[in-house]
Amino acid sequence: MQENYLAKWLNGELTEAELLEFKKSSEYETYLRIAETSQQLEAPIYDEEKAFEALKNRQLLEEPKVVKLQPFKSFLRVAAVAALIMIGAFFYLQTLDESISTGVAENKEIKLPDNSVVSLNADSQITYDEGNWQEERDLKLNGEAFFKVAKGERFTVHTEQGKVSVLGTQFNVKQRSKLFIVDCFEGLVQVDFDGKTKKLSKGMSLSLIDGQLLESDNLEHLKPAWLAKESSFKSVPLKYVFEEFGRQYNMEVTTKNVDTQKLFTGTFSNTHKELALKSISVPSQIKFKLEGGKVLFYGE
Amino acid sequence: MDTEKTDNVCNEQVYSDIFKANSKTIYNYIYYKFGNEEKAYDAVQEAFVKLWENCGKVSPTRAKSFVYTVAKNLYLNVIKAEKVRLKYAEKSLKTTHETPEFLLEEEEFGKKLQRALDDLPENQRTTFLLNRIDGKKYAEIAEMEGVSIKAIEKRMHLALKSLREKIDGI
Repeated sequence: MQENYLAKWLNGELTEAELLEFKKSSEYETYLRIAETSQQLEAPIYDEEKAFEALKNRQLLEEPKVVKLQPFKSFLRVAAVAALIMIGAFFYLQTLDESISTGVAENKEIKLPDNSVVSLNADSQITYDEGNWQEERDLKLNGEAFFKVAKGERFTVHTEQGKVSVLGTQFNVKQRSKLFIVDCFEGLVQVDFDGKTKKLSKGMSLSLIDGQLLESDNLEHLKPAWLAKESSFKSVPLKYVFEEFGRQYNMEVTTKNVDTQKLFTGTFSNTHKELALKSISVPSQIKFKLEGGKVLFYGE
Repeated sequence: MDTEKTDNVCNEQVYSDIFKANSKTIYNYIYYKFGNEEKAYDAVQEAFVKLWENCGKVSPTRAKSFVYTVAKNLYLNVIKAEKVRLKYAEKSLKTTHETPEFLLEEEEFGKKLQRALDDLPENQRTTFLLNRIDGKKYAEIAEMEGVSIKAIEKRMHLALKSLREKIDGI
Protein backbone atom coordinates (compact mmCIF):
# COMPACT_ATOMS: atom_id res chain seq x y z
CA MET A 1 0.00 0.00 0.00
CA GLN A 2 1.24 3.49 -0.79
CA GLU A 3 1.85 6.13 1.81
CA ASN A 4 -1.26 7.76 3.32
CA TYR A 5 -3.41 5.26 1.45
CA LEU A 6 -6.51 6.19 3.47
CA ALA A 7 -6.33 9.75 2.22
CA LYS A 8 -5.73 8.49 -1.33
CA TRP A 9 -8.69 6.16 -1.03
CA LEU A 10 -11.05 8.94 0.01
CA ASN A 11 -9.82 10.92 -2.96
CA GLY A 12 -10.26 7.96 -5.33
CA GLU A 13 -6.54 7.77 -6.06
CA LEU A 14 -5.87 4.11 -5.19
CA THR A 15 -4.87 1.73 -7.98
CA GLU A 16 -7.32 -1.02 -8.73
CA ALA A 17 -5.11 -3.62 -7.07
CA GLU A 18 -4.74 -1.49 -3.97
CA LEU A 19 -8.47 -0.86 -3.78
CA LEU A 20 -9.18 -4.58 -4.05
CA GLU A 21 -6.74 -5.37 -1.27
CA PHE A 22 -8.16 -2.57 0.91
CA LYS A 23 -11.75 -3.76 0.41
CA LYS A 24 -10.74 -7.22 1.60
CA SER A 25 -9.35 -5.90 4.88
CA SER A 26 -11.47 -6.22 8.04
CA GLU A 27 -11.27 -2.49 8.71
CA TYR A 28 -12.74 -1.51 5.35
CA GLU A 29 -16.37 -1.59 6.47
CA THR A 30 -15.84 0.89 9.28
CA TYR A 31 -13.76 3.16 7.05
CA LEU A 32 -16.56 3.21 4.52
CA ARG A 33 -19.11 4.09 7.19
CA ILE A 34 -16.91 6.84 8.56
CA ALA A 35 -16.54 8.30 5.08
CA GLU A 36 -20.28 8.16 4.43
CA THR A 37 -21.51 9.30 7.83
CA SER A 38 -19.03 12.15 8.10
CA GLN A 39 -20.38 13.54 4.84
CA GLN A 40 -23.79 13.90 6.44
CA LEU A 41 -22.48 16.00 9.30
CA GLU A 42 -23.18 19.69 9.38
CA ALA A 43 -21.50 22.64 11.01
CA PRO A 44 -23.68 25.12 12.97
CA ILE A 45 -26.02 27.29 10.95
CA TYR A 46 -24.25 30.28 9.54
CA ASP A 47 -26.20 33.26 8.21
CA GLU A 48 -23.97 34.66 5.52
CA GLU A 49 -26.17 37.65 4.68
CA LYS A 50 -26.45 38.68 8.29
CA ALA A 51 -22.70 38.41 8.69
CA PHE A 52 -22.19 40.61 5.65
CA GLU A 53 -24.64 43.20 6.99
CA ALA A 54 -22.84 43.22 10.33
CA LEU A 55 -19.56 43.66 8.51
CA LYS A 56 -20.86 46.66 6.57
CA ASN A 57 -22.17 48.25 9.76
CA ARG A 58 -18.83 47.73 11.41
CA GLN A 59 -17.04 49.37 8.54
CA LEU A 60 -19.28 52.39 8.86
CA LEU A 61 -18.37 52.66 12.52
CA GLU A 62 -14.67 52.24 11.96
CA GLU A 63 -12.56 55.06 10.63
CA PRO A 64 -13.80 56.30 7.29
CA LYS A 65 -11.84 54.76 4.50
CA VAL A 66 -9.75 57.09 2.40
CA VAL A 67 -10.94 56.53 -1.11
CA LYS A 68 -7.81 55.80 -3.06
CA LEU A 69 -9.06 57.14 -6.39
CA GLN A 70 -9.70 60.63 -5.03
CA PRO A 71 -7.13 61.19 -2.34
CA PHE A 72 -7.13 64.94 -2.91
CA LYS A 73 -10.86 65.26 -2.35
CA SER A 74 -10.67 63.85 1.15
CA PHE A 75 -7.62 65.97 1.85
CA LEU A 76 -9.64 69.04 0.92
CA ARG A 77 -12.41 67.93 3.24
CA VAL A 78 -9.99 67.60 6.14
CA ALA A 79 -8.36 70.90 5.27
CA ALA A 80 -11.71 72.67 5.13
CA VAL A 81 -12.71 71.38 8.54
CA ALA A 82 -9.34 72.33 9.99
CA ALA A 83 -9.60 75.81 8.50
CA LEU A 84 -13.07 76.28 9.95
CA ILE A 85 -11.88 75.26 13.39
CA MET A 86 -8.92 77.62 13.17
CA ILE A 87 -11.03 80.55 12.04
CA GLY A 88 -13.53 79.87 14.81
CA ALA A 89 -10.79 79.62 17.39
CA PHE A 90 -9.22 82.86 16.14
CA PHE A 91 -12.44 84.84 16.53
CA TYR A 92 -13.16 83.23 19.85
CA LEU A 93 -9.72 84.08 21.19
CA GLN A 94 -10.12 87.63 19.88
CA THR A 95 -13.09 88.17 22.13
CA LEU A 96 -11.26 86.79 25.14
CA ASP A 97 -9.68 89.31 27.45
CA GLU A 98 -5.96 89.64 27.81
CA SER A 99 -4.86 88.56 31.24
CA ILE A 100 -1.48 89.08 32.89
CA SER A 101 -0.53 87.88 36.32
CA THR A 102 2.46 87.64 38.64
CA GLY A 103 3.35 84.90 41.07
CA VAL A 104 4.56 85.44 44.60
CA ALA A 105 7.87 87.30 44.84
CA GLU A 106 7.49 88.42 41.21
CA ASN A 107 7.04 91.85 39.64
CA LYS A 108 6.11 92.69 36.08
CA GLU A 109 5.86 95.80 33.95
CA ILE A 110 3.21 95.81 31.23
CA LYS A 111 2.78 98.34 28.44
CA LEU A 112 -0.87 98.77 27.50
CA PRO A 113 -1.96 99.46 23.90
CA ASP A 114 -2.06 103.24 24.57
CA ASN A 115 1.45 103.23 26.04
CA SER A 116 0.14 103.49 29.58
CA VAL A 117 2.35 101.44 31.87
CA VAL A 118 1.23 99.07 34.58
CA SER A 119 3.67 97.73 37.15
CA LEU A 120 2.30 94.63 38.80
CA ASN A 121 3.38 93.79 42.34
CA ALA A 122 3.67 90.20 43.52
CA ASP A 123 0.72 87.77 43.31
CA SER A 124 -1.47 90.16 41.30
CA GLN A 125 -3.48 90.02 38.11
CA ILE A 126 -4.87 92.45 35.56
CA THR A 127 -7.38 91.62 32.86
CA TYR A 128 -8.32 93.88 29.96
CA ASP A 129 -9.80 93.82 26.49
CA GLU A 130 -6.97 94.48 24.12
CA GLY A 131 -9.06 94.88 20.98
CA ASN A 132 -11.35 97.44 22.53
CA TRP A 133 -8.70 99.33 24.45
CA GLN A 134 -8.71 102.60 22.50
CA GLU A 135 -12.44 103.09 23.07
CA GLU A 136 -12.64 101.84 26.59
CA ARG A 137 -9.67 101.98 28.88
CA ASP A 138 -11.07 99.57 31.42
CA LEU A 139 -9.16 96.94 33.32
CA LYS A 140 -9.72 94.65 36.23
CA LEU A 141 -7.20 94.45 39.02
CA ASN A 142 -6.74 91.82 41.63
CA GLY A 143 -3.79 92.68 43.87
CA GLU A 144 -1.51 95.69 43.70
CA ALA A 145 -0.35 97.75 40.75
CA PHE A 146 1.11 101.12 39.93
CA PHE A 147 -0.32 102.89 36.92
CA LYS A 148 1.32 105.51 34.73
CA VAL A 149 -1.58 106.50 32.54
CA ALA A 150 -1.08 108.14 29.17
CA LYS A 151 -3.32 111.13 28.44
CA GLY A 152 -6.57 110.27 26.75
CA GLU A 153 -10.02 109.00 27.55
CA ARG A 154 -11.12 107.97 31.02
CA PHE A 155 -8.99 105.19 32.40
CA THR A 156 -10.72 102.92 34.89
CA VAL A 157 -9.39 100.28 37.23
CA HIS A 158 -12.03 97.94 38.58
CA THR A 159 -11.40 96.08 41.79
CA GLU A 160 -13.60 94.02 44.03
CA GLN A 161 -13.97 96.87 46.45
CA GLY A 162 -14.26 99.89 44.22
CA LYS A 163 -13.20 101.47 40.99
CA VAL A 164 -10.57 104.09 40.33
CA SER A 165 -10.88 106.38 37.32
CA VAL A 166 -8.46 108.96 35.98
CA LEU A 167 -7.83 111.01 32.91
CA GLY A 168 -4.06 110.73 32.88
CA THR A 169 -1.89 110.39 35.89
CA GLN A 170 0.24 108.15 38.08
CA PHE A 171 -1.34 106.22 40.87
CA ASN A 172 -1.11 103.02 42.84
CA VAL A 173 -3.97 100.71 43.65
CA LYS A 174 -3.65 98.06 46.29
CA GLN A 175 -6.50 95.66 46.78
CA ARG A 176 -5.91 92.68 49.02
CA SER A 177 -8.88 90.96 50.62
CA LYS A 178 -10.35 93.64 52.93
CA LEU A 179 -7.60 96.13 52.14
CA PHE A 180 -8.09 98.80 49.49
CA ILE A 181 -5.56 101.59 49.18
CA VAL A 182 -5.24 104.15 46.41
CA ASP A 183 -2.27 106.52 46.27
CA CYS A 184 -2.26 109.37 43.79
CA PHE A 185 1.18 110.52 42.68
CA GLU A 186 0.19 112.91 39.91
CA GLY A 187 -2.95 114.48 38.45
CA LEU A 188 -6.42 113.68 39.71
CA VAL A 189 -7.92 110.35 40.60
CA GLN A 190 -11.53 109.50 41.25
CA VAL A 191 -12.34 106.55 43.51
CA ASP A 192 -15.77 104.99 43.61
CA PHE A 193 -16.53 102.54 46.40
CA ASP A 194 -19.54 101.58 48.52
CA GLY A 195 -21.65 104.10 46.60
CA LYS A 196 -19.31 106.93 47.58
CA THR A 197 -17.08 109.01 45.35
CA LYS A 198 -13.77 110.51 46.47
CA LYS A 199 -11.39 112.65 44.47
CA LEU A 200 -7.69 112.44 45.17
CA SER A 201 -5.18 114.95 43.93
CA LYS A 202 -1.41 114.71 43.86
CA GLY A 203 0.08 113.46 47.13
CA MET A 204 -3.21 112.19 48.49
CA SER A 205 -3.98 108.70 49.64
CA LEU A 206 -7.15 106.84 50.48
CA SER A 207 -7.35 103.59 52.36
CA LEU A 208 -10.25 101.37 53.19
CA ILE A 209 -9.15 98.77 55.72
CA ASP A 210 -11.72 96.38 57.09
CA GLY A 211 -14.42 98.93 56.25
CA GLN A 212 -12.55 101.81 57.89
CA LEU A 213 -11.92 104.78 55.65
CA LEU A 214 -8.75 106.77 56.09
CA GLU A 215 -7.59 109.69 54.00
CA SER A 216 -4.24 111.40 54.10
CA ASP A 217 -2.54 114.08 52.04
CA ASN A 218 1.09 113.63 52.81
CA LEU A 219 2.51 110.98 50.49
CA GLU A 220 6.26 111.18 50.99
CA HIS A 221 7.39 109.65 47.74
CA LEU A 222 6.77 110.18 44.07
CA LYS A 223 6.31 106.51 43.44
CA PRO A 224 5.02 103.60 45.49
CA ALA A 225 7.61 102.07 47.78
CA TRP A 226 7.31 98.61 46.25
CA LEU A 227 8.77 99.85 42.99
CA ALA A 228 11.91 100.55 45.01
CA LYS A 229 11.77 97.02 46.40
CA GLU A 230 10.21 98.04 49.67
CA SER A 231 6.80 97.52 51.24
CA SER A 232 5.49 100.56 53.01
CA PHE A 233 2.54 100.80 55.42
CA LYS A 234 0.76 103.58 57.16
CA SER A 235 -1.55 102.54 60.00
CA VAL A 236 -2.27 99.16 58.54
CA PRO A 237 -3.22 96.18 60.74
CA LEU A 238 -0.33 93.79 61.26
CA LYS A 239 -2.18 90.92 59.55
CA TYR A 240 -1.93 92.73 56.21
CA VAL A 241 1.73 93.41 56.86
CA PHE A 242 2.30 89.70 57.48
CA GLU A 243 0.35 88.84 54.36
CA GLU A 244 2.47 91.20 52.28
CA PHE A 245 5.63 89.74 53.77
CA GLY A 246 4.52 86.25 52.81
CA ARG A 247 3.71 87.47 49.32
CA GLN A 248 7.07 89.12 48.78
CA TYR A 249 9.16 86.24 50.11
CA ASN A 250 6.90 83.33 49.17
CA MET A 251 6.66 82.19 52.78
CA GLU A 252 3.93 80.91 54.99
CA VAL A 253 3.37 83.24 57.93
CA THR A 254 1.90 82.08 61.24
CA THR A 255 1.43 83.97 64.47
CA LYS A 256 1.15 83.15 68.17
CA ASN A 257 0.16 85.57 70.92
CA VAL A 258 0.21 88.47 68.47
CA ASP A 259 -2.55 91.05 68.14
CA THR A 260 -2.79 91.08 64.37
CA GLN A 261 -5.19 94.04 64.42
CA LYS A 262 -2.51 96.27 65.91
CA LEU A 263 -1.66 99.05 63.49
CA PHE A 264 1.70 99.17 61.85
CA THR A 265 3.44 102.09 60.27
CA GLY A 266 6.74 101.49 58.60
CA THR A 267 8.58 99.94 55.72
CA PHE A 268 10.27 96.62 55.08
CA SER A 269 12.70 95.56 52.40
CA ASN A 270 11.46 93.22 49.68
CA THR A 271 14.94 91.90 49.10
CA HIS A 272 16.60 91.37 52.49
CA LYS A 273 14.61 88.89 54.49
CA GLU A 274 16.41 89.22 57.83
CA LEU A 275 16.22 92.99 57.64
CA ALA A 276 12.55 92.86 56.73
CA LEU A 277 11.77 90.55 59.64
CA LYS A 278 13.47 92.95 62.01
CA SER A 279 11.70 95.93 60.47
CA ILE A 280 8.40 94.29 61.29
CA SER A 281 9.14 92.67 64.64
CA VAL A 282 11.19 95.32 66.44
CA PRO A 283 8.70 98.20 66.27
CA SER A 284 5.84 95.81 67.04
CA GLN A 285 7.75 94.34 69.98
CA ILE A 286 7.28 90.78 68.85
CA LYS A 287 9.73 88.00 68.03
CA PHE A 288 10.07 85.73 65.02
CA LYS A 289 11.35 82.29 64.24
CA LEU A 290 12.38 81.10 60.76
CA GLU A 291 11.86 77.49 59.84
CA GLY A 292 12.32 76.44 56.21
CA GLY A 293 9.66 78.15 54.13
CA LYS A 294 7.75 79.23 57.22
CA VAL A 295 8.02 82.09 59.64
CA LEU A 296 6.39 82.35 63.05
CA PHE A 297 5.78 85.72 64.70
CA TYR A 298 5.14 85.34 68.40
CA GLY A 299 4.66 87.49 71.44
CA GLU A 300 5.79 86.75 74.97
CA MET B 1 -11.62 49.08 -19.85
CA ASP B 2 -12.57 48.70 -16.28
CA THR B 3 -10.16 45.91 -15.49
CA GLU B 4 -8.09 48.19 -13.26
CA LYS B 5 -11.09 48.86 -11.07
CA THR B 6 -12.57 45.38 -10.91
CA ASP B 7 -9.16 43.95 -10.17
CA ASN B 8 -9.07 45.81 -6.90
CA VAL B 9 -10.34 44.38 -3.61
CA CYS B 10 -11.41 47.96 -2.71
CA ASN B 11 -14.08 47.58 -5.38
CA GLU B 12 -17.22 46.69 -3.46
CA GLN B 13 -18.37 44.06 -5.95
CA VAL B 14 -15.02 42.28 -5.84
CA TYR B 15 -14.97 42.51 -2.07
CA SER B 16 -18.50 41.19 -1.74
CA ASP B 17 -17.69 38.27 -4.09
CA ILE B 18 -14.68 37.33 -1.99
CA PHE B 19 -16.87 37.43 1.09
CA LYS B 20 -19.53 35.18 -0.48
CA ALA B 21 -16.96 32.69 -1.70
CA ASN B 22 -15.08 32.34 1.58
CA SER B 23 -16.97 33.53 4.65
CA LYS B 24 -18.85 30.27 5.31
CA THR B 25 -15.70 28.21 4.97
CA ILE B 26 -13.80 30.51 7.30
CA TYR B 27 -16.61 30.22 9.80
CA ASN B 28 -16.53 26.41 9.63
CA TYR B 29 -12.75 26.33 9.58
CA ILE B 30 -12.46 28.25 12.87
CA TYR B 31 -15.37 26.31 14.31
CA TYR B 32 -13.71 22.95 13.54
CA LYS B 33 -10.58 24.21 15.21
CA PHE B 34 -12.06 25.52 18.45
CA GLY B 35 -15.66 24.38 18.63
CA ASN B 36 -16.89 27.89 19.48
CA GLU B 37 -19.56 29.49 17.28
CA GLU B 38 -19.04 33.00 18.61
CA LYS B 39 -15.32 32.90 18.03
CA ALA B 40 -15.90 31.58 14.54
CA TYR B 41 -18.31 34.42 13.76
CA ASP B 42 -15.91 37.04 15.16
CA ALA B 43 -13.06 35.58 13.14
CA VAL B 44 -15.04 36.09 9.93
CA GLN B 45 -15.76 39.70 10.86
CA GLU B 46 -12.19 40.39 11.86
CA ALA B 47 -10.73 38.80 8.75
CA PHE B 48 -12.92 40.82 6.40
CA VAL B 49 -12.52 44.09 8.25
CA LYS B 50 -8.76 43.60 7.91
CA LEU B 51 -9.15 42.76 4.24
CA TRP B 52 -11.06 46.01 3.69
CA GLU B 53 -8.48 48.01 5.59
CA ASN B 54 -5.76 46.51 3.42
CA CYS B 55 -7.76 46.31 0.20
CA GLY B 56 -5.24 48.49 -1.60
CA LYS B 57 -2.36 46.19 -0.73
CA VAL B 58 -3.94 42.75 -1.19
CA SER B 59 -4.56 41.56 -4.73
CA PRO B 60 -7.78 39.57 -5.36
CA THR B 61 -5.75 36.42 -5.98
CA ARG B 62 -4.10 36.72 -2.58
CA ALA B 63 -7.27 37.81 -0.77
CA LYS B 64 -8.36 34.25 0.03
CA SER B 65 -5.20 33.20 1.82
CA PHE B 66 -5.11 36.64 3.46
CA VAL B 67 -8.49 36.20 5.15
CA TYR B 68 -7.68 32.63 6.24
CA THR B 69 -4.41 33.77 7.74
CA VAL B 70 -6.04 36.64 9.64
CA ALA B 71 -8.80 34.37 10.97
CA LYS B 72 -6.32 31.68 11.98
CA ASN B 73 -3.89 34.07 13.66
CA LEU B 74 -6.64 35.81 15.57
CA TYR B 75 -6.85 32.97 18.06
CA LEU B 76 -3.28 31.87 17.99
CA ASN B 77 -2.47 30.89 21.57
CA VAL B 78 -5.65 32.55 22.75
CA ILE B 79 -8.37 30.00 23.22
CA LYS B 80 -8.44 26.39 24.19
CA ALA B 81 -10.40 24.11 21.95
CA GLU B 82 -13.88 23.33 23.14
CA LYS B 83 -15.97 20.34 22.19
CA VAL B 84 -17.01 20.53 18.57
CA ARG B 85 -20.72 19.84 18.36
CA LEU B 86 -21.67 18.77 14.91
CA LYS B 87 -25.12 17.78 13.83
CA TYR B 88 -26.40 15.29 11.36
CA ALA B 89 -27.79 16.80 8.25
CA GLU B 90 -31.52 16.58 8.88
CA LYS B 91 -32.68 16.26 5.29
CA SER B 92 -30.70 13.09 4.72
CA LEU B 93 -32.49 11.48 7.66
CA LYS B 94 -35.92 12.42 6.33
CA THR B 95 -35.33 11.00 2.89
CA THR B 96 -34.10 7.60 4.03
CA HIS B 97 -36.49 4.68 4.02
CA GLU B 98 -34.49 2.42 6.26
CA THR B 99 -35.85 0.23 9.04
CA PRO B 100 -36.07 1.75 12.54
CA GLU B 101 -33.39 -0.68 13.73
CA PHE B 102 -31.05 0.50 11.02
CA LEU B 103 -31.74 4.16 11.85
CA LEU B 104 -31.09 3.52 15.52
CA GLU B 105 -27.85 1.78 14.71
CA GLU B 106 -26.97 4.62 12.35
CA GLU B 107 -27.57 7.17 15.13
CA GLU B 108 -25.42 5.13 17.46
CA PHE B 109 -22.62 5.13 14.92
CA GLY B 110 -22.99 8.89 14.48
CA LYS B 111 -22.53 9.47 18.20
CA LYS B 112 -19.44 7.28 18.24
CA LEU B 113 -18.03 9.20 15.30
CA GLN B 114 -18.64 12.52 17.05
CA ARG B 115 -16.87 11.42 20.20
CA ALA B 116 -13.98 10.16 18.13
CA LEU B 117 -13.84 13.48 16.26
CA ASP B 118 -13.71 15.39 19.55
CA ASP B 119 -10.66 13.42 20.54
CA LEU B 120 -8.74 14.14 17.35
CA PRO B 121 -5.90 16.64 17.39
CA GLU B 122 -7.13 20.03 16.25
CA ASN B 123 -5.28 20.04 12.90
CA GLN B 124 -6.46 16.52 11.95
CA ARG B 125 -10.08 17.31 12.83
CA THR B 126 -10.03 20.58 10.90
CA THR B 127 -8.55 18.96 7.82
CA PHE B 128 -10.91 15.97 7.97
CA LEU B 129 -14.06 18.06 8.39
CA LEU B 130 -13.12 20.63 5.76
CA ASN B 131 -12.85 17.74 3.34
CA ARG B 132 -15.93 15.79 4.45
CA ILE B 133 -18.40 18.60 5.24
CA ASP B 134 -17.21 21.44 3.04
CA GLY B 135 -15.94 19.19 0.25
CA LYS B 136 -12.60 21.00 0.13
CA LYS B 137 -9.88 19.43 -1.95
CA TYR B 138 -6.58 18.57 -0.25
CA ALA B 139 -4.88 21.31 -2.24
CA GLU B 140 -7.32 23.94 -0.95
CA ILE B 141 -6.91 22.83 2.65
CA ALA B 142 -3.15 22.89 2.21
CA GLU B 143 -3.43 26.50 1.04
CA MET B 144 -5.61 27.46 4.03
CA GLU B 145 -3.35 25.83 6.54
CA GLY B 146 -0.19 26.97 4.81
CA VAL B 147 1.30 23.47 4.56
CA SER B 148 2.05 21.02 1.72
CA ILE B 149 -0.58 18.78 0.13
CA LYS B 150 1.38 15.81 1.40
CA ALA B 151 1.06 17.08 4.97
CA ILE B 152 -2.70 17.29 4.49
CA GLU B 153 -2.80 13.75 3.13
CA LYS B 154 -0.88 12.62 6.19
CA ARG B 155 -3.39 14.34 8.46
CA MET B 156 -6.29 12.80 6.58
CA HIS B 157 -4.74 9.36 6.82
CA LEU B 158 -4.02 9.68 10.54
CA ALA B 159 -7.48 11.11 11.19
CA LEU B 160 -9.21 8.17 9.48
CA LYS B 161 -6.97 5.70 11.28
CA SER B 162 -7.68 7.15 14.73
CA LEU B 163 -11.40 7.46 14.03
CA ARG B 164 -11.68 3.82 13.03
CA GLU B 165 -9.65 2.63 16.00
CA LYS B 166 -11.83 4.65 18.36
CA ILE B 167 -15.08 3.44 16.79
CA ASP B 168 -14.06 -0.19 16.60
CA GLY B 169 -12.91 0.08 20.17
CA ILE B 170 -9.27 -0.78 19.64
